[in-house]
Amino acid sequence: MLLSLIVLIPLIFAVLTLLTKTREQARAMALVATVSVLLLTIYTYFNFDSTTAATQFEEFYSWVPSLGISYHLGIDGISLPLILLNAIVMPLLILFTWNDDRKAPNRFYSLILITQGAVLGVFCALDFFLFYVFWELTLIPLFFMVSIWGGPKKHYASIKFFIYTHVASLVMLLGIFGLYFAAWETTGTPSLSIPHLLAQFQFIESGITRDLIFLALLFGFIVKLPVFPFHSWLPDAYTEAPTAGSVLFVLLKIGGYGIFKIMLPLLPFTASPNLMITIMGALGAVSILYGAFLALAQKDLKRMVAYSSLSHMGYVTLGAAGLVSLSVSGAMFQQFSHGLIMSIMFMSCGVINKATGTRIINELGGLAQRMPKLAVIMVLTFMASLGLPGLTGFIAEFSVLAGSFVNLQGYVVIALMAIVITAAYHLWALQRAMFGVYKEKLGNVVDINGYQTLAMGVIAILILYFGLNPSPVLDMMLTNSEHIIGLMAGMGV
Amino acid sequence: MDLMLFAPEITMVATGLAVLLIGLFLPVDSKKVLGYLASLGIIAALYLTIVSLGTNTLAFYDTLSVDALSQFFKIVFLVVALLFSIASIKYTEGSAHVEEFYVLAIFATIGMMLVASANDLMVLFVAFELASISTYALAGFEKKNPQSLEAAMKYFLIGSLSGALMLFGITFLYGVTGTTSIPGIADSGAAIAASPIGIIAVVLLIAGMGFKIALAPFHMWAPDTYQGAPSLVSALLAAGSKKMGIVAAFKVFIVALIALQVQWQIAFAVLAVITMTLGNVAALSQTSVKRMLAYSSLAQAGYITMAFVVLTPMALGGGILYALSHGFMKAGAFIATAAVVYMVLSENKDTKDPDHIDNFKGLGQRMPVTALSMTIFVFALAGIPLTAGYMSKFVLFSSTIQAGFAWLAVIAIINSAISLFYYAKIVKYMYFLPTEGTKVSEPLPYTIALVVAVIGVLAIGFWPEPFIYWAMEAGKVLLAGGI
Repeated sequence: MLLSLIVLIPLIFAVLTLLTKTREQARAMALVATVSVLLLTIYTYFNFDSTTAATQFEEFYSWVPSLGISYHLGIDGISLPLILLNAIVMPLLILFTWNDDRKAPNRFYSLILITQGAVLGVFCALDFFLFYVFWELTLIPLFFMVSIWGGPKKHYASIKFFIYTHVASLVMLLGIFGLYFAAWETTGTPSLSIPHLLAQFQFIESGITRDLIFLALLFGFIVKLPVFPFHSWLPDAYTEAPTAGSVLFVLLKIGGYGIFKIMLPLLPFTASPNLMITIMGALGAVSILYGAFLALAQKDLKRMVAYSSLSHMGYVTLGAAGLVSLSVSGAMFQQFSHGLIMSIMFMSCGVINKATGTRIINELGGLAQRMPKLAVIMVLTFMASLGLPGLTGFIAEFSVLAGSFVNLQGYVVIALMAIVITAAYHLWALQRAMFGVYKEKLGNVVDINGYQTLAMGVIAILILYFGLNPSPVLDMMLTNSEHIIGLMAGMGV
Repeated sequence: MDLMLFAPEITMVATGLAVLLIGLFLPVDSKKVLGYLASLGIIAALYLTIVSLGTNTLAFYDTLSVDALSQFFKIVFLVVALLFSIASIKYTEGSAHVEEFYVLAIFATIGMMLVASANDLMVLFVAFELASISTYALAGFEKKNPQSLEAAMKYFLIGSLSGALMLFGITFLYGVTGTTSIPGIADSGAAIAASPIGIIAVVLLIAGMGFKIALAPFHMWAPDTYQGAPSLVSALLAAGSKKMGIVAAFKVFIVALIALQVQWQIAFAVLAVITMTLGNVAALSQTSVKRMLAYSSLAQAGYITMAFVVLTPMALGGGILYALSHGFMKAGAFIATAAVVYMVLSENKDTKDPDHIDNFKGLGQRMPVTALSMTIFVFALAGIPLTAGYMSKFVLFSSTIQAGFAWLAVIAIINSAISLFYYAKIVKYMYFLPTEGTKVSEPLPYTIALVVAVIGVLAIGFWPEPFIYWAMEAGKVLLAGGI
C-alpha cells in the first residue's frame, strides 16, 4: 500500500488542485500533497534494508491475466534514492513558487503534481505495461508546462521536446514488445513483469534479436537522459520552460534509471556486449566533453546551465558502461547529486531573470552586492557542480572517473579534459554575473524572498551534507551495483 | 429453432414499431417520450444480447448465426444506438418528425445487427441495405439545411454504387460456387482459387465494403458526409455503420474467401497503410471538428484493417476490441461535438460553421462536462494509456509484431504519434485558449450520453480482461470458419 500511496497521492491531488479557484488554495493543495509524499518516503526510507539488492515493499495484483499485465510495484536501491530526491525537492519547489504570480495557478500546480506522480510511478513500476504508462504520462504535463508558461520560443521548444521523446518512447515500446513476445515464445505464457522479462532475456535464441531489443530500449533511455547526439531537445526545452518546469525536467531521472534498472542487467547477455559498452562509453565521454564546450560558449545563463546538465548526464552513461561497482554506484549517485545541484541552478536562473529582466551573462554583473543570500547559495552550488571536494558533485564524478578507468581508459581521458573546461565556464559565469562592479542599469534589484531562501537553502545544505556523508544513499547504490556487477562477472564480461 | 435467439432483434423491431405508432398520436411537445421509449428498448435489447454471449448456433435454415462474433458486434451497434438515442432526446426536441428519426435509427441498427449475424451473402446484402437506406434518410434529416442535403445526396449516390459493386461481387461468387452460404463458399475454396473470376469478385467486394468502411481510396464521401450530416447522425455513421462494413468484410473475406487469403491480404495491407496515413495527415489541417473526426475515423479504420493482414487470433481479437472501443470513443466525440453545435446554434441560429474549432475555445469553462468528456475521447482515440483506445492498440499492434509484421506496426505507431497533434489541438482550444462566451448550462441528455460513453472508454481501459476475452472468442469464430 505504501508505494501505491506514494504514487497515487500526487495524481489524486492533481485532480483536486485542478478544481481549486484561487492561487492560495492551489498552492496549499500542492504543498499538502508533496509533503505527504515526503513523509511517506521518509518512512519508507527508514524501513528499507540497504544491505540487500532484493526488491522491497512489493505489491502485486493481477490485472489483465490474458496479456500478462499486472499491477506490480516494488523498489530497490536503484529507485529509492531517486524517489527520495523527488520527494525532497518537490515540496521545496512548491515553496519556491509560493509567491509567484502567474496565470491559471490551479493548472500549474496540477501539472506539477501529475509529473511527480508519473515519475514516482516509473520508479516503482515492476511491470512493463505500468512502466510505459507512467513513462508516457510524464510527457504530457511537461509538454503543457513548456507550451503554456514557457519563454518566447515555447511552442517550438515544447513541440521539439514532445516529438523527440515521444518517438524515443515508441522505439522503446517496440523493444518492450520484442522482449515480451520473445519471452512469450520461450516460456509459453505472456508476462510483462520486468523482473521476469529481464531474467528471460538470456534465453532468447537469436543474437540479433537480443541486440535489437537492447538497442531499442537503450535508445528510449538515452534520448530521455539525454546523451549526445540526441540532446538537441534539451537546451530548448530546459531554457524555454518556466523555472518550475526546468526543475521538473531535472528531476525527470527516468532515463538514467532505465539504464541502471533495465539496461545493465541485460548487457552481459547481448550478443555483442563489448560493442554495447563501447557505444555507451563513447556517447557518455563525448557528451561530457561536448556539453562542457557548448556550455562555455553560451551567452544565456540558463542555456549554459542546460548544456552543463548534458555534460553531467554524460557521467551517468560513462559510469554505467564502466562496469565496476565504483563507477556504477558513482553514476547512480551522479543522478542524485545532479538533481539537487541543477534544481538550485535553475532556480537561480529564474530568480535572476525575474529580478533583472535578463539572463544574458554579459549584461549582468555585481549581483552579489544586491543579492547576498542568492550569491552564497549559488557559489556553493556552482562549486558542487564543477566538482569541488566536500560537495556531492565531487563524489559522483570522482567515482565515475576512477571506476571507469579500470575498463575504459581512453574514454576517461576524454572526459578528464572536460574537467578544466567545466571549471572554466562555471567560474567565468559566476565571476561575470555575480561579482565585479554592479551594473546600475539593472535597476533596483532585491534579494530572494523568504520562501525562496528556504527552498534553495535546504537543497544547498543537502548538497553539503551528502557531500560530506554520502553513505545514507550511496550504501544502497553500492549494494545494487555490486549485485549487477556480480551478474556480469558470472558471464565473464 | 429457438426464436429467443433473436430476442434482441425482435425487441428492436417491436420498439421501432411502437415508436412509430405512438408517435402518430402524440402532440409535438410530448414527443420527448419517444426518445425515452427508444432508449429503453435499446437497453432491453442490449441486456438480451449480453446474456446471450456464449451461445453458438445457427438458425433460419443456416442463414443466420448466433455466436461470439455476432453477439459482440451487436453489442457494439447497440451501444452506439443507445448513445445516439439518449443524445437525440435533446436534438429532436420540438421537431414534428421525432418518430421518423428514431425509427430510422432503430431500423439501421437492426440492419447492422443482422449483418453481424448473417451466415449467407443474400441475408448479409439485404441487411446491409436496410442499414444503408435508413442512414441515407437520416443524413438528410435537416431538410432545410443544404449542407445536410448535400451530405445525404453524396452518401446515397456512393452508397448505392458500393452496394451495386458488392452485389456484383456476390453474383460472381455465386456463379463460381453455386451457393450464397458463407461456409458453403468457403468449402468451394479450391474452385474460387482456380477461377480468374475469384479475383474479380475479391476486387469488387473490397471496393464495395471499402466504401462503407471508408478505406482510402474509397473514402471521398466520408469527410463530406460526416461534416454535413447532423452531428448525431455522423456518430451513428462513424461509430456504427462503419463497423457494419468491418464485420461484413470479416465474414466475407476471412470466412468465405479464405482460399484467396494471399491476394486480399496484400490488398488490405496496402489499403491499411494508405488509409491510416492519409487520415492522420489530412486531419492535421482541418478546422471543422467534425471533418477532423471524420479523417481520424478514417485512420482508425486503417488500424482495424491491420487485423486482416495479420490474421492471428490475437490480432482479430484486437481488431474486434478496437471496434467496440471505437464505438464508444468516436460516438462520444461526435456527441460532444453535437452538444457544442447545439450550444452555438442556440446562441445564434445563423452561425455558419457551428462545429468550427474556434467554437471550442474556452469550452473547459463554458461546458466543463462536455469538455472533459471530449478530452477523454480524443486522448482515447490517440491511444493514451488507461483508455479503451490504448488497450485496443496495445493488443492489435503487439499482435502485429508477434506475427512478424513489425514494419506495419511501426507505421501504425508512427501514425498514432502524428494523430496526437490534432487531438491535442482540440484539447488546447478547449482548455488553454481564452474564452469569448460565458458558462452555459449543458443539455442533460447530451451529458448523460457523454457520461455513459466515458464510463465505457474508461472501463475498457482499466478493466479490459472480459472485453479482451470476448473479443478473442469472437476472433476465434472467424478463424474457425464460422460454425
